[in-house]
Amino acid sequence: MNPIIAGIILGVWGYICVYDMLATNFIMASRPLIAGTVTGLIVGDVQMGLLVGGTLELMALGVYTYGGATIPDYIAGAILGTYFGARTSFATGLALAVPAALLLTQVDILNRFLNFIFVHRADAYAEKGDAQGFERMMAYFSHMIWGFSRAIPIFLGIAFGETLVTALSNFFTANPWINNGILAVGHLLPALGFAMLLKIMPVGKYFYFLLLGFVLFAYLKIPLLGIAFAAVAITLIFQSLKYQPKEVA
Amino acid sequence: MDAIKLERSDLLKSFWRYVFMSQCGWNYERMQSVGYCYSILPILKRLHPDPEDFKEAFITNLNFFNTNPVVGMPFIIGAHAALEESGASLETTEGLKVGLMGPLAGVGDTVVWALYNSIIFSIGAGLALQGSILGPILVILLVFFPYLAVRYWQFFWAYRQGEKLITAFGSGAIARITEAATIIGLIVIGGFAPSIVGVKTPLTITTSAMVNGEEVVNKVVIQDQLDAIVPYLLPVLAVGLAYWLLKRGWSPTRVILVLVIVGFVLGAIGVLS
Repeated sequence: MNPIIAGIILGVWGYICVYDMLATNFIMASRPLIAGTVTGLIVGDVQMGLLVGGTLELMALGVYTYGGATIPDYIAGAILGTYFGARTSFATGLALAVPAALLLTQVDILNRFLNFIFVHRADAYAEKGDAQGFERMMAYFSHMIWGFSRAIPIFLGIAFGETLVTALSNFFTANPWINNGILAVGHLLPALGFAMLLKIMPVGKYFYFLLLGFVLFAYLKIPLLGIAFAAVAITLIFQSLKYQPKEVA
Repeated sequence: MDAIKLERSDLLKSFWRYVFMSQCGWNYERMQSVGYCYSILPILKRLHPDPEDFKEAFITNLNFFNTNPVVGMPFIIGAHAALEESGASLETTEGLKVGLMGPLAGVGDTVVWALYNSIIFSIGAGLALQGSILGPILVILLVFFPYLAVRYWQFFWAYRQGEKLITAFGSGAIARITEAATIIGLIVIGGFAPSIVGVKTPLTITTSAMVNGEEVVNKVVIQDQLDAIVPYLLPVLAVGLAYWLLKRGWSPTRVILVLVIVGFVLGAIGVLS
């Protein structure tokens, strides 16, 4: 695929991911697992999409817990990482995805700020009682700043990043220790996702539930879905005991 | 004057507007305000035939608004529609919005974002890393249908309950749901974290000794030794380190940099893989 055309297609995909995050939430396209996998389908390397998307997903797991917070841009990270990973290697893809996501964090702050334009336009429409004008603005423009703030960097990266990325990839291949380092990073990064989840939970108060989950997996070898079901049962038992009406002796 | 009643088509229009536009235009100043206003507008149009009256409701509904967009926002729009239909004042409907958006954001963020999504995405990403496309497909199925169902049901349930809701929310039900989500979350993280953080050590120690004139090579695989003591020790240590740094007030970005440097160096010299 011509890089310009690929850049346009994946830029559009990035826009769709943003829109799905903002409103529809149909497929959670903004999560790197989905953004990466679909990119893999588009560029004809699903495996790369799964690997890059899956790795970023686990690294990001804990950042999606509060609405309204600015986070690294894993949409662009997953798309650029998968695209260049498919053209070079997983290590190169991952080595690009993480910095790309971090760099675009600043863009997120900018577009969340610039969107104040819409609220001020809305005030003006409301003063005139012009519901139609407001509705037009919402339907056609309200997602544009956010959408293009991701689509344009993705397009530029893909359309013009090729030579740079190829040089980088050749350098990695010539030095296998770099590849080993990056792969170890890929295995280590998911730790952050879980740590962020734990940070918002009362670990001190309920550490024994954490321990229980670990024992279920590490010693009893229960598959993940089984652990989830067990967790529901344990919680129901815990709460029914805790909130039992006190019996009168 | 007869009170105007809402048609089902008004409610559906409002619901689909919410689905297709809920957080568009989100900004630091008033957050979801324009998306909320856009969603409730069909209701306001129907119930305020007088242009001046409508204008006032339009302006008021551009106030600050923010809650969870999946569990919370549809609920509030539904309840708001019911109140508006019963002829409540703008102060009352604004009170409902402000009163519900905080608690529902708390429940929604905990149950949907932190718990449900974390579970399905951990499983999905785990499958994806084994090379299976079933991972993302499973996630999509577990998002598309349940989300739409929960959003639709919430919207219309809240509409039918109307004013009764506000008293129902004082009962402590929210605290209990949040507690349940927290406990399930902790058990699940306890099991998922070691299964998915894939760090291992490829180190082996090879010793050779002369026994009865023959050379005997003794190879010790460090990972096997670790597994015999505590299985998944390295993943647990990695999560523990990241958690400790976050608790000390480090930003996630700084922790990423530490993990990247530590992982890269140890990987490059062959201690971790």
